[in-house]
Amino acid sequence: MASNSTLEQSIDKVLMKTEKEVLLDLKNSGLDSQQTLDNSLPKLEQEFDKIISDGKKEADKIEKQIIGGADIKVRNKQLLLLEEGVDKVFAKALDQISNIDRSGDYANLINNLLDESTKILGTTEVTVFTNAKDKDVVKSALSKFSGAELSSDTIDCLGGIIIKSKDGTMTFDNTIDARIDRLKPLIRKEIASTFGVGN
Amino acid sequence: MTIQGGVQYNKIAEIKGPLVVVDDVENAAFDELVEIETKDGEKRLGKVLEVGNGKAIVQVFEGTTGLSISGTSARFVGKLMEMPVSKALLGRVFDGLGRPKDGLPDPIADKFVDINGEPMNPEQREYPKDFIQTGISVIDGLMTLVRGQKLPIFSGSGMSHNLLAAQIARQASVVGTQDDFAVVFAAIGVQYSEAEYFRRSLEDSGALKRSVLFLNTADDPAIERIITPRVALTVAEYLAFDLGMHVLVIMTDMTNYAEALREISAAREEVPGRKGYPGYLYTDLSTIYERAGKLQGRKGSVTQIPILSMPSDDITHPIPDLTGYITEGQMVIGRDLFRQGIYPPINILMSLSRLMKDGIGEGSTRADHSEVANQVYDAYSRAQEVRALAGIVGKAGLTDIDLKYMDVGDVFEKELLSQATDENRTIEETLGIMWKIVSKLPKNEITKIKDKYVDQYYKEE
Repeated sequence: MASNSTLEQSIDKVLMKTEKEVLLDLKNSGLDSQQTLDNSLPKLEQEFDKIISDGKKEADKIEKQIIGGADIKVRNKQLLLLEEGVDKVFAKALDQISNIDRSGDYANLINNLLDESTKILGTTEVTVFTNAKDKDVVKSALSKFSGAELSSDTIDCLGGIIIKSKDGTMTFDNTIDARIDRLKPLIRKEIASTFGVGN
Repeated sequence: MTIQGGVQYNKIAEIKGPLVVVDDVENAAFDELVEIETKDGEKRLGKVLEVGNGKAIVQVFEGTTGLSISGTSARFVGKLMEMPVSKALLGRVFDGLGRPKDGLPDPIADKFVDINGEPMNPEQREYPKDFIQTGISVIDGLMTLVRGQKLPIFSGSGMSHNLLAAQIARQASVVGTQDDFAVVFAAIGVQYSEAEYFRRSLEDSGALKRSVLFLNTADDPAIERIITPRVALTVAEYLAFDLGMHVLVIMTDMTNYAEALREISAAREEVPGRKGYPGYLYTDLSTIYERAGKLQGRKGSVTQIPILSMPSDDITHPIPDLTGYITEGQMVIGRDLFRQGIYPPINILMSLSRLMKDGIGEGSTRADHSEVANQVYDAYSRAQEVRALAGIVGKAGLTDIDLKYMDVGDVFEKELLSQATDENRTIEETLGIMWKIVSKLPKNEITKIKDKYVDQYYKEE
């Protein structure tokens, strides 16, 4: 049975060789895997850091959006409330002006307005327009301005005058309404500052 | 602000295009504000262009459509056009003349400022040298914007300059300082949809609270466009020099501004210059662009990014040509890149920031910035040559090193140039990508960077 024993020996040899090869392959594969894992670790860490940093960026962006939007909404509401307050103050002031006593200092005011207006137009040859309430005051003040005439037409205003050169080419609006209008931005600022805004 | 109103003149001699000629006028002043009142009581604003011989020529901002000689009057207000300014302007939206467009009341003004601005004393100018981060790699890395600089974007019709403008407005910031930063955005003659895009883009990103928007849309009278950049710059100067903020002013589209100037010039029968633009176009543009800068002893700065669309993409057209003489460099949007779908399609080989060298490096961005930028420029330029060569001999005829440069060109366009419209990159991220591009080259091809930086940042693949 010598041939059987030789066969077995050959088989054992082949088996041993194969086992050695398989073990070596396994060892190499293990080393390769370890190497691949080691190599991918920094990349993985990089990816991880990138995801975290992207997430942080996105969170910052969303935070900015939410806070920015909310700030604007609050500010807009504040502005509207402030304007409401300013309008109320204005309305009350205009009401008081329209009901002002037409005697005393008011005559001086009309005189000053006439003086200022004629100087600006550069002539006293003018037609003067005013409201029904101020007609008498203006009429008596006109005696100082030769050539100036009071129009029979009245205008709708709080007080003051509009003068027009007799040739019709120039007009100057010196009504209280126009003066308030011109000063409105400054008056609004003053009112707002009393509300504690813009100080 | 004066309590005295101006004289109203009732004799209109002529209405010619956007101009009204008023007769028998005494004591009017050049640039004086004029209120035109129609027979129906409608009021329009204008300003005096010329005065003399008892006549005044008034340019009506809102146009002269519907005006007639009889029944129209002109009130000379006695002051120049002024803009009310205060910190409360931040977060607000105005029209091209500075009137609220957001449904909110007029702002409470700290003061009223002449919109023509005070020219900056050249002696008092401070040289711009601090970095502004736009979050856009190609700008921050290769054509860095510096506080106080004027760096225009030259674009063409239909290209993505407005997307870019909005992205810059949303993302721009000053790094390494706690100083306040603001954006003043002037849209000049833009489409309604674009104006809405700008507004919504700033609102949605939360950037509106640090911005002031002036929107003059295409259907607004062209003459208003003359005023829009001036109003915007007036606000910017106040925020910068009175409140100490760093202000970035973005103005788009300056071509529409120049068109409006041409319209007025034609109506005044002035001798036309190149392409019908007035001969003083250069001087006029300089009165806008030269309002950028920094002043000695003042904390803030005004930086400008004017955007102009070049008719027929012609860079020799008078508007980009004259703009280029005044500004400190340019960013050119490339039609080829745009067609390839690249955003932002900035052609770096035609672009340049002249003040970049002073705003980058150690203490501002990073010590290696200048050198790596030079190397990237060089490599991309070479890549373009190689691409042209490949177009003739084919890829097979190229050497290994040529192929590497071609690869560099592709990576440049894909990774550094291309960026999402909502992607905000830090300068470190940008420099990282630039090194990635440089690292595509063999070390012996890196000739513009010191060895110590190569050792530190070069990553062989």
